[in-house]
Amino acid sequence: MPLLEIQNLKVHFPVQPRLFGRAKEFVRAVDDVSFCIAPGETVGLVGESGCGKTTLGRAVIKLIEPTAGRIVFEGEDIAGLTGAQLRARRRRFQMIFQDPFGSLDPRRTVSDSIGEALDIHRLASDAKARRQRIDALLKNVGLDPSHASRLPHEFSGGQRQRIGIARALAVEPKLIVCDEPVSALDVSVQAQIINLLQDLQREHGIAYLFVAHDLAVVKHISRRILVMYLGRIVESGEAKEVCRSPKHPYTQALLSAVPVVDPDSKRQRILLAGDVPSPIHPPGGCPFHPRCPVAEARCKTEVPTLRELEPGRQAACHLAT
Amino acid sequence: MPLLEIKNLQIEFGSGASSVRAVDGISVSLEAGKTLCLVGESGSGKSVTALSIAKLVPSPPARYVGGEILLEGRDVLKMSSRELRDIRGGLVSYVFQEPGASLNPVFRIGAQIKESLKYHRPAVANDVEVVRLLKLVGIPAPESRLRNYPHEMSGGMQQRVMIAMALASQPKLLVADEPTTALDVTIQAQIIELLGDLRQKLGMAVLLITHNLGIVGDLADDVAVMYAGQIVEHGPVREVLQRPLHPYTQALIRSVPDLEAEVERLTAIPGAVPLLGSFPDGCRFHPRCPKAQSSCSAQAPELASVQSGRRVRCPLWESPAVNRSSTLHA
Repeated sequence: MPLLEIQNLKVHFPVQPRLFGRAKEFVRAVDDVSFCIAPGETVGLVGESGCGKTTLGRAVIKLIEPTAGRIVFEGEDIAGLTGAQLRARRRRFQMIFQDPFGSLDPRRTVSDSIGEALDIHRLASDAKARRQRIDALLKNVGLDPSHASRLPHEFSGGQRQRIGIARALAVEPKLIVCDEPVSALDVSVQAQIINLLQDLQREHGIAYLFVAHDLAVVKHISRRILVMYLGRIVESGEAKEVCRSPKHPYTQALLSAVPVVDPDSKRQRILLAGDVPSPIHPPGGCPFHPRCPVAEARCKTEVPTLRELEPGRQAACHLAT
Repeated sequence: MPLLEIKNLQIEFGSGASSVRAVDGISVSLEAGKTLCLVGESGSGKSVTALSIAKLVPSPPARYVGGEILLEGRDVLKMSSRELRDIRGGLVSYVFQEPGASLNPVFRIGAQIKESLKYHRPAVANDVEVVRLLKLVGIPAPESRLRNYPHEMSGGMQQRVMIAMALASQPKLLVADEPTTALDVTIQAQIIELLGDLRQKLGMAVLLITHNLGIVGDLADDVAVMYAGQIVEHGPVREVLQRPLHPYTQALIRSVPDLEAEVERLTAIPGAVPLLGSFPDGCRFHPRCPKAQSSCSAQAPELASVQSGRRVRCPLWESPAVNRSSTLHA
């Protein structure tokens, strides 16, 4: 049984034309998305800014209310849950945020930030147990437990991200949604955090939904990859396979645009014309067709569905084989 | 004579005991029409170095403690404010990281580009020239874009407008400070391609500042790797990326995941980038260096010329321990 099963999830935001009155238009930030995450698995979610990857990541753990669809977590649909019922389930899924500076309260010590999660879910029987748990968590993420009484500003970016990870780990979640967890960090520190996330997964059997724009990082950490464009998944499959032989023209262009260090790399760059279109008025037919180098006449009218090309390999393109 | 020659530049912030040296003895030169890339992480001093070329780091708080910045042989640091105004956006133009923050939100983009023309090339300060510039940077239907406000354009288009504005004065040196960092990869690829094209078409020199090793190889002729206010390695781009000599460059290249390679575990660099003002004694990289020896904490190494055109700030560069791993992991 998958840990998490997303079925036909939609998140539409109303665009308010005036101060009052009903919205006539909607941003389809997430439009009919389905996928699964197995226990202990890492699924990477890539796409450019505005493609809806962050909204999807948040909707999956109900930080954003989905408009439609099912979120089946450990066999139970949580899409409609609210209040205390939802809060009780929150122990099972946590989130790590992009900005380690913005996601910690500057006036609370590290032990307060981590301890809050323990208090809410009543995971520590007394003050001594609480203290021990916080020390163990800090040690677990590679921080010195004696720093527990410090404030966030006393730490570097990488250390703050470790605090954010310790806070997520505090409630022993089964799934952590990582939203661009390394993109705000210095290059030399990113690898530390990626390695830490992999170690923790091995130790605790946590599943990750790893949301990022950097394909090289996503490929490195993920077993499977979902590629998103204008609110839809356009390609999915094993990470290695998707990167070795991308089927969707968008994935091909995205991969070819990833900068490589080696100046003698033989890769041919596919330059996409133009920008990502507005998600309020997505193009008709295949949403990618105005930028697609191989688009045909039918791409302008027929919306391609995400179909299986090989076992475990899907793409939403009329021409993909 | 090189177009730009920076000699032993030293810049400090603050005063007295609390002063910190952000740039400590940078020397590089750039020939006309060539591209030099400064690579480094936050706090390495790369942006301060780039801004100082047109003396754009305000003083105070900054103090230009020592060194020279020779632009076509004239020292920028000794120029009057009038001379500085002429070279800024004239001989030297800048493109910054956040196009949205650099453009004025209340003026139309045509007017903003014309402003630069009015000062530097008043004879052609008209719509025809603005349209030509917009076309040059690949903006479709430029005539209809003149009257757009910045918020009506995407990030990639805004960055093209910034580049058009920088080109308005026909500069000999374009300083691009993290020009693609705020952009998506597909848009980044467009901008890199554009900068490469323009450099060839216009024959200008480019000083590219970035933290992204991946875009260095696409554009640069030479690369200087900076760490904690100093250059640690400098040389032709191909050689530095394929056969890095300094342990920091080597570690940096290995710590970036590679799309084409299968690596189980990344080789991380331990610790964090040292904060300005608390640089370690001796070699500034030694606390994080996998190859450090006891001598590294005592003696600050010099940036030494080691092969033709290559400089490295590590006395151990020749030792087998450092050299063994000095190839790309791909």
